[in-house]
This record gives sequence, C-alpha cells and structure tokens, in this order.
Amino acid sequence: MSLPCGTRNYSYAEDMAILRTKTHWVFFIGFLALLYASPLYLGNYWLGVVNLIGITLVAATGLNILVGYCGQLSIGHAGFIALGAYTSAIVTNRMELPFLVGLIAAGLVAGVVGLIFGLPSIRVKGFYLAITTIAAQFIILWVINHWDSVTGGFVGIRAPYPSIAGFEFRTETSQFFLITTVAVITVFFAKNLARTRVGRAFIAVRDNDLAAEVMGINLLFYKLLAFFIGCFMAGIAGSLLAHWIGFINAEHFSLKESILYIGMIIIGGLGTTVGPIFGVVLIRLLQQTLTVQVVPFLEGTFDMMPSGFATGITPMLFGLVIILFLILEPRGLAHRWALFKAAYRLWPFSY
Amino acid sequence: MAELLQYIITGLSVGMVYALIALGFALIWKSSSVANLALGQIVLISSWVTYATLAQAQFPVWLAFPLVILFALLLGWSIERFALRPLIAQPILALITVTLGIGYFIEGLVNFIWPWSVDALPRLFPREVVHIGPAVISQEYLWVVGICLMVFLLLTLFFRYHKMGIAMRATADDQMAVQACGIPVTKVFSRSWMFACVVAAIGGVLISSIGGITHGLVETGLKAFSVVILGGLDSFIGAMVAGPIIGLLETLGGGYLTPIIGWGGVKDIIPFVIIIVVMILKPYGLFGEVRIERI
Amino acid sequence: MKNKKIVFVMVTLVLMLALAPALTACGTGSTEGKTLKVGMTTPSSGPAAEKGAPMGHANLDAFEYINNELGGVKGYQVEVIWLDNAYDASKVATNVKRFMDEGAILFGTASSAMMSASMEIANRAEFPGIASFNAPILHRPPEHIYGQMPDYGDDWAAFARYYMDNIWEGTGKPRMALHLLNNSTGYGARDAAKAAADELGIEIISIDEHKADTQSEMDSLTRIKASNPDVLYISSTPAPTALILKNAYELGMYPGVTIGLGHAGITKALVDIAGADITEGVYGVFPTVNWGDNVSGMAKMTEYVRKLHPKDEGNMDYITSWAQSLIFAEVLRVAVENAGYDALVKGNVDSWRAVETQGIQKLKDYDVGGLHGPVSYTAGDNRLSKSVRIFQIKGGAITPITDWIEAPLVKYEQFDWFAK
Repeated sequence: MSLPCGTRNYSYAEDMAILRTKTHWVFFIGFLALLYASPLYLGNYWLGVVNLIGITLVAATGLNILVGYCGQLSIGHAGFIALGAYTSAIVTNRMELPFLVGLIAAGLVAGVVGLIFGLPSIRVKGFYLAITTIAAQFIILWVINHWDSVTGGFVGIRAPYPSIAGFEFRTETSQFFLITTVAVITVFFAKNLARTRVGRAFIAVRDNDLAAEVMGINLLFYKLLAFFIGCFMAGIAGSLLAHWIGFINAEHFSLKESILYIGMIIIGGLGTTVGPIFGVVLIRLLQQTLTVQVVPFLEGTFDMMPSGFATGITPMLFGLVIILFLILEPRGLAHRWALFKAAYRLWPFSY
Repeated sequence: MAELLQYIITGLSVGMVYALIALGFALIWKSSSVANLALGQIVLISSWVTYATLAQAQFPVWLAFPLVILFALLLGWSIERFALRPLIAQPILALITVTLGIGYFIEGLVNFIWPWSVDALPRLFPREVVHIGPAVISQEYLWVVGICLMVFLLLTLFFRYHKMGIAMRATADDQMAVQACGIPVTKVFSRSWMFACVVAAIGGVLISSIGGITHGLVETGLKAFSVVILGGLDSFIGAMVAGPIIGLLETLGGGYLTPIIGWGGVKDIIPFVIIIVVMILKPYGLFGEVRIERI
Repeated sequence: MKNKKIVFVMVTLVLMLALAPALTACGTGSTEGKTLKVGMTTPSSGPAAEKGAPMGHANLDAFEYINNELGGVKGYQVEVIWLDNAYDASKVATNVKRFMDEGAILFGTASSAMMSASMEIANRAEFPGIASFNAPILHRPPEHIYGQMPDYGDDWAAFARYYMDNIWEGTGKPRMALHLLNNSTGYGARDAAKAAADELGIEIISIDEHKADTQSEMDSLTRIKASNPDVLYISSTPAPTALILKNAYELGMYPGVTIGLGHAGITKALVDIAGADITEGVYGVFPTVNWGDNVSGMAKMTEYVRKLHPKDEGNMDYITSWAQSLIFAEVLRVAVENAGYDALVKGNVDSWRAVETQGIQKLKDYDVGGLHGPVSYTAGDNRLSKSVRIFQIKGGAITPITDWIEAPLVKYEQFDWFAK
C-alpha cells in the first residue's frame, strides 16, 4: 500500500484514472462510507447543516463551471436558484406533478433562462457581463414577486415533501440521503466534465477567447453551454432547497447570496473540483459558528460593548475573509490542498 | 398634459442624482479600469458620517462638510492602499470580488457604529416648492442639479487640463508606458480613489437630505450602474447624459406603463431592462470608448 | 512501514474530526433541574438587526424578570434557547430543528419572514410557534403557528373600519388609493383590501408599489391625484413613507386627502425624516402602547431595560418582544395547570400537543400588562391579540385617538388568489 510519488502508468486507462492507487480507493470509499453513515451520529440540527452544505455545493459547483472553467463572470446566481426553487414548488404544488418532474423542470427552466440571459456574453465580458447578470437576477426576482397568480407573489409559496415512487422524504435523514446523492452525482459530473472535450473548450475560452475562436472553438455554442450547465445545477439546487425548507419567498434569494456564492468559489479555488467543496464548507460552517456560538457568547459577556457590535460583526468578518483570501491566497484553498498533497507525496524530499 | 410635464421634470431631476453617483464610478474606471461595486456602500457610509457630524456631534455646517470630505478622502486612500494595491496585476474577477468584499465590510461597519438603520439629516434646504407651469419641483432637487453640473464641470476640466488628470487618463490607457515615463502609478490610483469617494460622498449627502438615510442608498448605487452602462463606463459626459435619460424613462414608465401592465413597481425594473437592452445593442454605451481586443 | 503508520494516523485523525460533532451533540445534555425549555430566534445580526437586536434583548430580559422575580412559571424556571438567525431563511430552518432536538416545547420568532421559513417544518412536526410580527400566510389556514399581534392586513381592516365610521362623511363609496412597499408589509394590506374592501364599502381605485429606496414618487402620486381619491393608505416603512408624504405635500395633495399608515410606518423616525409640519394630521394604526404610557406592565419593563439594555429604551419593538415573552410565560402557566409538568417536560410531540391544546388554546383575556391588546384564543382564529389603536400625528407627536379596536377576521384561504 503506497501512495504515488511519481508518474508510472502502464496503460491508457491508468493514465486517465481519477483514483490511481489502492490507497486512493480506500480513502475515497472510506470517506463516502463515513458520509453516508453520518445520520447515525449527527442530530437533526447538524444533519440540517450538512443538508444545507449539500444544496449549496450543487449550486456552487454549477457556478464554478461557469466562472471557474469558462471564465464567464456571473454575479446573479441566486436569481437562477430562485427560479429553480419556484419552478419546482409550482410544479409540485399547483400542478400536482411528481417531485422528479419538478426537479428536472427546475433545472431545465433555470438552464434555459440562464441561456437567454447569457446571450450578452457573446458580445461582452468581464465587468459588463457581471452587471448583466446582476440585472438578470433583479429582473427574475421582480417577475417572481409580481406574477401573483402563478408564484404567489410577495407572500411566497409552499413546497410539499419530495416523494419518489411513493416514498415521501419526511425526515431529515431521508432528505440527507437524497441531497447527498444529488451532490455526489453533481461533483462527479463536474470532475468528468473538466476532462472531456467540452471542459477543455471551456478552459480555452477562459484563458483567451479570441485565440480559442481562431483555433476553431465555436464561442457561441460553448459560452451558452456553460451558462446552461451552470444554471441547470443552480435550478436543481433551488428545487432541493425549496423542498427542504418547505416554504420559499423571494426575500431568501438576495444579491448578498449571489456575492456569497462568488466568495465561496473564490475562497475554495476557482477552476478545480474540490474548490467548491472547501469554499462551501468553510463559509457555511463560519456562518453557523458565528450565529450559534459567537453572537450569543458576545451578547452574553460583553454587555458593555456598543449594541452594534454583534450585529455588525458578521458582514464585517465575511467581507474581511473574502478580501484577505483574495490578497493572500488568490488561488484558494484548493491550491493549498494540492500543495499539501504534493508535499506529502514527496516527503522527505518536499522542497 | 400637465402630468407629462411633471413626469419630465421629476425624471430629469431624479436622473441627475443617479448621474452624480455615476460620475464617481466613471472616475475610478477612467483612471484604473477597476469596477467599483462598493459604490453604494461608500455613499451609505458617507451619509452616516454626515449625520454623525451634523446631528450627533452638532457641528455647524461649515465645519461638518469639510470633515465629511476629509473622511471621504481618507476612505478612498485606505481602500486603495490596503485592498487594491496588493491586487494590482490580478485578473478582473479578483478586483471585482474584492470590491464586493469591501462593500460587505463597509455595511457591517455601518451596522456596527450606527446600529439603527434609519435616520434623518437636519433640514439643509428650504421646503417650499418651485412652480414651473402646472408642475412642481422641490428646491432640494434644484440644488442637486446645480451641484451635479458643477462637479461634472470640475471633473472635466481637471481631466483635460490638470497634470494629474492627464496622468490618470494615461494610466488608464497603458500602465507600463506611464511607469516608464516616471509617473508614480500608485499615486495616480490613490488620487483617483480619493476623488471618487469625495464625489460619492457629495452624492450621498444630497440624496439623504432628500429621503433620509436608509439602507436603500445601496440600491440607489446599483441603479447608478445602469447609468454608467448606458452612458459608457469611462465617460463623464456619458454619465451626465445617461442619468437624466434613465430618470426620465423611469418616471415616464412608472407614470404611463403601470396602469397598462397592471403590476405595480414597473418603475423599479426599468433600469435593469435598459442594461440588458444596451448590452445587446451597444455594449459600450452611448459615449463609451470601444476597446479593440487583440490576441 | 512508515507509510502504514502515517496512513493509520491520518485515518484516525479523519475519524476523530468526523466524530467531533457527535461529541458536542452529546455534550449539550439538559441540565437536570425542573425547567421548561422554549426556543427564541431573532435576527440580531444581518439586515434586520436594527429591529432584531432589541427584540432579542427584550425576549431575554423578560425571561430574566420572570425567572428571578416571579420564580419562573408555577415554580419552574424557564430555560430559553436563544439563537440568532441573521434574517436568513436557511439558518432559521436549522434553528427550528435545533429547538426540536433540544427539547423545547414552544418557539418564537421575531419577523414574519423568518416564521414563514420555519412554519412548514414546525407545522409538519406539530411544533407550536408564536410569531410576534404576523402575516396572513402564517396563520391562514390555521395550523400550529400563532400570531402574537395583528398583521398588516389587520391594520388596513381596522383603519378602513375606523375611517368609514368616523371620518367619511360623503355618500356612497369613498375612493381609496393604496401605496405599498414591495414586500409582505405592503402586500399584506393589499390582500386585506382585496378581500374585504367591498364588504366595508370602499372602492379601491389604484394600487401602487414602491421600493424601500425610492427617491421620488411624484409619478405615481401625479397619477393618483388625477383620479381624485378621498383617502390614501400607505403600508410601508418610515423612510419611503416620509418621501411619499413629502411628494404628496409638494403636489398639493396633502393636506386634502386623508392619509392612513400601517404600523410599520407610523414611528418617530417618520416624523424626523419628513418633518412635523408635513406629517400633521396623518392617521396611523399601532398595536402596542408607547413608552411611558400608564399601564401595569410599564414599570417593570422600564426598570429592566434601564438595568440591562439602556440603549434600547424608547424602541417600540422592545415592547413587542417583552410582551411576547410574557405571553410565553402565560401559555406555559396555563399548560402546566391543565396538563401537568411531567407531560410537558418530555419535549416531544406529545408535549407540543399539550402546550398547544392545553396552553395556547386556553388563553382567555390575558392582558399582557396592558402593553398591547388583550390576548384570547378563539377557535378558527390563530391571532392571539387582534386589537389595535388608531393614532394621529399632532404637532409632531404620535397621539392615540381611540381605545383598543378589534380588527375583523379575514378568511384569506377562501379566495383563489391567496397563496396555498
């Protein structure tokens, strides 16, 4: 049992494999086993946190494909998640169709709308595209808020329990299995996407789209495809979110959320597969720790502090974390993780 | 017919408010090609500092305003020095995200220092309205229009004739060449951020004297984006022209389209629809400089 | 061999990390002692912190008063699990699950949006909750969520009734224009108007919407002015309300039409921003008393706020949340009387049912120290307090002009357009 310290593959399949040695497989299966066994030792609350992380991961992976792999800056992701959530709720609540139809419909609707709002990416990029996506989010939310008859308007809409083939996902544990499975499939898809022709085309577009076009990559097709895939995943995440909370309202999907998603993938590491995982886990755990542990602690012990201390500390901390990560580690946690793995493999020659 | 006149006058004057904020944005873009997404928050914190000096510390007006300007200068300098200087050559995503992070941070800071979210500035302008035919306009808006035009004039003259202004334009064009000429690029960035924050502060003071200080100042900052997109990201004249246009479209849309469409709030979505339309038709805006990209 | 050791160490570390949550989860074992647990969640940080922080303070201060001076509820101390939700829906969802895990038998939220995010989870589990700020979607159709105070729709209904009875002097139907904030605050009033305007004999001539950061409403007001309304009802927060009043004054509409405000708008901040001259004579609805009013609960509340959170004195939301904790204590007291402590302490669905049926639903004429309208449960109506008072701004001061008026019940779920 040894971990690889060099490249010595004997067949093409070995060269292309994601997990290359037996030790890799042991760790990977062990991790999956641990993950799926977690309902045994986590209470409802922590399972809920893991569920939230899973949902966020699906959306963040989509955003990573769009921004990290294809280089199309999008700060309107929360709008597409909202679209997916509302579609799924409307399909299951008003039209009374099964949950799986709602899930797929949510992804498709979000993907198609993402495609439409991604059309400007043909003509503009960088900051201009970012503003377009912000405008897209506001338009989507405005339509959701005002189209009373279909979406329930400002009040919001209920989403019933998800149920597949008669089995209703009532408890936190059953929802955990559903969400985790979807998240695992999504990450697996993203990992493999990066290794195919499509993924390579994305990276080429990101690095220099003019050169890519000269090389023969159809910019229109690949940019719109990136938008579609990214927003499809956002739609799926939105659907899971709607059924997990049970009631959704446009207020849940604000510009702050979009900014937070960008922060998550940057902190995690753009353009990698594990990047979104790190970023999502870090930000969500930070949020939970701040609200559950830190704020009551501060409120309890520091009565003398100005009353704005606990209320202002969270945004300040998040802003600071984003800024510091960008300045000190712009390639994100995934880069640190890759360095750690490399150092470990080459130890004691890791200089 | 009387309504039309009222809509036009209101639209133009509200648009000037947007134009003022947009000027601050265009200033930073023109000199350092950085998109400042924290504009709304800078407006917010400047308004709160104005409140602190006028209402909390009870300074007289002639002392409070220079203090606010000083604060804005300091804010611009520190943002550039601590958050943007380390990221000078980074790709645009990093720069945009860092301004987003700064915006988040400033919002938290505002919450921290002034935990109540709404307040009012003491009345700075007289209350009576001015009648133009059958339409009315409040004096506050006349002041806004006047100050806006003055700021625009100052900025244009500065950028055309003053040494530092010309240096800023040169830096936006080609940083390396400017450095080769011996102009300190970091100083140029610093100055541009400082001025932009001052312009935003002036805008903030004017807006909050009309409608009070609320969290909504951040959203007004977002509307200023539609102004810069329509007018062109690096053009002052573009901001001055596009601002009233957007204000006009908003008011006319709100006045005439709302009964037709049946949904309330049509007025709010118009700036964003304009962004999308401009992106598809003329991405660089009315007066923006078209950047030709080469491999 | 070195590899094997390293691998072993790493696997152990990973396992320890994974099991750590289990240790902390076990660690928060209940402190044995006769207590009753309740959960409270307020948006004490984040965008609504300005309202949420004083409300959180008030909740905890009131329970300190109840535990220390009143000896708890029937001798049992009340343990409050307080969590901040930062006005984030997903966080509130996890908070409610935590309450249920830790054996709370009742929970409360501050904002109606936060309760809407938790109500499905609570309703599905039959976990009862009381929302201090209410909204129709929370309690229609009535399930396990109760509203402490009247909502924005009730405001409109109460004002409409008062207007018809006392102000309207013409014949036929008065013409009312609505100006709404673009969220549930504004649309709550619209839903009530859609449901009940005909009954009350009012004609709604236009419904306009505005954003919280609006710079000018001259366009919508010009249009409204052209349709000659008799009364304008604004359901919004202080800053946009002030702007609308200023614009109405500039257009010459006011003084002229009657203006009524929902309880989110008629606060001191409104008078500060708009000015006492413009707001003179404006009507408004508010569901609680003012600081300094002569009611039985005022003295203790003032004493505690000065002792523990002096900066919150004068804040109207503090009164609301203090009253919420008093209501919690009353619910627990009635529940212990009727169902017994042992049934309640189990902290499972049986206790929740007991708290609801034997506690909340047995509330009758509890006066909450006079801080707001009396609290009674009537079957089919999950609003605990249904009364408001009408105020008018005179000389810059918001003065009450009526006693407690009950807002009529509107059965929204009968209407097709009401969200399911």
